[in-house]
Amino acid sequence: MDGVRSADGSAGKQKNSAAPKAEIGVFETVRSLHAAQRHLVRLVPNVRTATGGGSPLERLERDMELPHVIDAEGAEDATLRARPVPGAPIPAIRAFLDGTQRSQVLGWIGAFPLVYGTSGAVVRERIDRRLGTWRAPLVQHRIYAPLAYVAREELEGALGGMLEDTTRPAPDGTIAAPHPTLLLERATLAVSRDRERLELTLAERWCAERGDDPIMIDGGIGSSEAVAQAACAIGVVKSHRSLYAEGDALGVVLALGKGERSSVIRIAPRARSEVLSWYLRLRDTEGRDALWGLVRVEMCVIDDAKITARADEISRWLLAESSPLAAPDPRWDRMAYGIRSAEEFLRATTN
Amino acid sequence: MTAPLGLVVATERTPNTPHQFQFWTAIDSPVGIGTIVRVDGRQPVDGHIPHVYGVVTEGFSYTDLASPLFDVLGHDGDPGQAAFSPTERAEVRLYVAAVLRHVPEEPLQPVPMGEVFLATEVDVAVALRMDSYLREDANTGIPVGIYRSGGMDSAIYLDAEFLVGPEAAHLNITGVSGLATKTSAVEWLMASLFAHFPKSKGSVAAVCFNVKGPDLCFLDLPAELEETDRAMYETLGVPCAPFQNVRYFAPYKADNVSLNTLRSNEELLANVQPLTWGLKEVLQFAEVLLNRDDVDAKADALIDFIKERVLDRDFEDRVLKQKHRVRSFADLEGWFKDLLSGLEDQGSEHWRTHHVATIRKVRNRLSNISTRCAGLVTNDGHTSDLPFGDFADRAVYVVDVALAEEDAQDLIFARVVSKLREHLERRDLGVTHVVVFVDELNKYAPADGPDTYVRKMLLDIAERGRYLGLVLFSAQQFRSQVHRRVVGNAGTSLYGRMDGDELSTPGYAVLSAATRTKLATLSKGQLMVRHPHFTQPIFVSFPRPAVMRGRDGMERYPQAADVPLDVGVLRQLRRFEPALTLAWVQDVIGLYEEEDVLRALHATLAHAPEKAGAYFKAQFRKIVGAAPAPAVARTPLRALPDDDPYAI
Repeated sequence: MDGVRSADGSAGKQKNSAAPKAEIGVFETVRSLHAAQRHLVRLVPNVRTATGGGSPLERLERDMELPHVIDAEGAEDATLRARPVPGAPIPAIRAFLDGTQRSQVLGWIGAFPLVYGTSGAVVRERIDRRLGTWRAPLVQHRIYAPLAYVAREELEGALGGMLEDTTRPAPDGTIAAPHPTLLLERATLAVSRDRERLELTLAERWCAERGDDPIMIDGGIGSSEAVAQAACAIGVVKSHRSLYAEGDALGVVLALGKGERSSVIRIAPRARSEVLSWYLRLRDTEGRDALWGLVRVEMCVIDDAKITARADEISRWLLAESSPLAAPDPRWDRMAYGIRSAEEFLRATTN
Repeated sequence: MTAPLGLVVATERTPNTPHQFQFWTAIDSPVGIGTIVRVDGRQPVDGHIPHVYGVVTEGFSYTDLASPLFDVLGHDGDPGQAAFSPTERAEVRLYVAAVLRHVPEEPLQPVPMGEVFLATEVDVAVALRMDSYLREDANTGIPVGIYRSGGMDSAIYLDAEFLVGPEAAHLNITGVSGLATKTSAVEWLMASLFAHFPKSKGSVAAVCFNVKGPDLCFLDLPAELEETDRAMYETLGVPCAPFQNVRYFAPYKADNVSLNTLRSNEELLANVQPLTWGLKEVLQFAEVLLNRDDVDAKADALIDFIKERVLDRDFEDRVLKQKHRVRSFADLEGWFKDLLSGLEDQGSEHWRTHHVATIRKVRNRLSNISTRCAGLVTNDGHTSDLPFGDFADRAVYVVDVALAEEDAQDLIFARVVSKLREHLERRDLGVTHVVVFVDELNKYAPADGPDTYVRKMLLDIAERGRYLGLVLFSAQQFRSQVHRRVVGNAGTSLYGRMDGDELSTPGYAVLSAATRTKLATLSKGQLMVRHPHFTQPIFVSFPRPAVMRGRDGMERYPQAADVPLDVGVLRQLRRFEPALTLAWVQDVIGLYEEEDVLRALHATLAHAPEKAGAYFKAQFRKIVGAAPAPAVARTPLRALPDDDPYAI
């Protein structure tokens, strides 16, 4: 039992459908930060609880991957170039998938932090121009603890499947150092992984059931082979810490005009499935920086002969999603309204 | 079980209270301002799931836009592009509802979070506390209209005990002219009252003062109604028919033979009676007509003396040349002439402590009344009045003063209401309850202006009438400009289409902005109702009255033109004996003075005999006296000469 629940309270995963009542009881105890604090104080000695709720750890400064550029193999043109997207924008995307996460310090055992993490994912399906929730969203509440440094048995006894170890040994057998900041970062990363897993779970379900209906997925699609190979899945990456273009190609990407896309490239990051990708400029950059309105699109690998037509088609779909604006989200220049709707839905239902 | 319509929401900034709550609904939900809803609580209190009933008073709609600018940007400043937007923004429909009732009533708590449902017919009865007076064994409900919501029609009832007393009483209706359907609403409500007023509560009649236009002139004639109106009548259990027993009263025109009413068409005269009063009736209400500025205490004293010592008594005095018995204005004028002449002869300036100047002033003012109220006040003392003491249950008595002069209107109103009050106090009016309908309350009971006799009377009815069964149904355009105690004592208030300026006055501050907006846009046939049992105003629809509209009536039965005396007499007599002809009338009255003809006519109308012609003709013999003396043969003083050439 890992605490994944559909928003209607039913088990979100098949394996949880026959969960014992006792564990459902534990799930109820951690449905909120304060409930989890009360539960732990009652069952685990030496727990000091955090006061005031605490800011989400996602807002704290932490060492992130440095922005960098990566050369990529062309799949459409030998040399990456700008291509105007032909034809008028056409709305054809049927659904939008996104996930959210929230990590908060629950308390401490000694100097070691316990983190309360909530992750969720939802598909917002568009019917008659209105967005509604497809199936039940997936929501997970877990407690992330450095079990290598605290009383493992007492925590496992109190939390069961709701507990996640942030000090799991690496393949080489090493474990994270007992630095409180490092442990907080590892907890946040663990929450991110859980969020991504929920997103992929939903994406896989959509692709399995609605393979003919295009779905826009916030972020890349390569972390799930099933999704990466689904023709309906369209990944839209808004952040560009990794730019898949070097040298002249980078200049081409950064100089794309509104309604232009780059040539399609093949990318296969470490531990991810290979996908086809291209850059697309959604909005005019006049008076803005070079990344304004720029998204990177991912789709499954298809025959080379069909790449151009498919990339143009998907680009037209994405251009159609420029309106309505996803404002007031600060990323509104790159974010589709449907993705914002998914985030807002989760914010409303998981906080 | 029906699906919920919405969910109650509350935040720290906008919490729910025991008297107000918020809920949201789907965009296409059939909720609007005035909709009645029911909230089912989730947690039992004292073992009972709380139910809260409310009426929607405000609505909000908004999207996730932080600023309109984002929408402009999103469509490149071109509204036409919005149609191509693939997704509609998330939109919220948030409503505020005012609590009508908590069940259970105690403990009174803030409205709980819970599901919101459209009120069913049963819910509406509970929400408006109608269940307390619609019991089978004690049903005092008077249908006022239909509440419509979500395809459901619910009859809304007023409590007769709070409409015509004794718990509360009086009804006031306000709204702009033409659109507010004030007169229609009163006509409908009177029909409803007549149909549903419980026999066990006594009897009820209505006296309607028609102060303008022909709206009340055809209450006994059917209207052409649409099927929707008929259906409403059926739903509300009120016969779709005109009033069965209506009598009209109107003063004469100055010619004293033509009735001064818009209902003067010969076809409709059967139930139209003249309203005429003599000196005695008028003098009781002299202060209505006499100006306080020029009738002082001394004049008052003389008037009182005349009322108590002179009127309708044999009066002798050493100053007077003859004995007087004053019954009419003509008699009074003779009395004054005799008195003043006697004083002049004696060179005296005082008579029984009254100065001759006061006597002249009172003579002037009283004599003037018959001129100012010509047609109403008769010189000959003849009286034709409402049937005080013989009022019939479920009857309507329309007093048409629309064409009368203002003074006459005031006099009529004051006297009729006073007589109603007198008889109700003595319990000998014929009915136990009388509804008095007065329109144009802005004119008769203004919030400011002089404290007139009529206003005092209206205040008296409003404040004390309910104990007597004297109920005021009043109407006006601007409620804010009517005396507060008159409208404040109205247990039930109806509001039709309202003027924006009027709605901005403080009296409407208790209503939400949305409710005020709805009031400003109400269509004909819609009303907002406030009633003691309803803790919040309720919007209802009511059917068109089943009586002919004034405009239709005037087209179908045009007002009779002014006619010569003989034609006027014929019209009046034909009400009783249709076979009479103009030639016959001319033959009867040809030799007599107009004054004699009118005296005979009034006597005939007063007695309403079957053989009106004969009765009328007999009056002349009685009044005018013997026939001309037979010619006497005259003998010349001396014989005329046979040869006189100038002789005839």
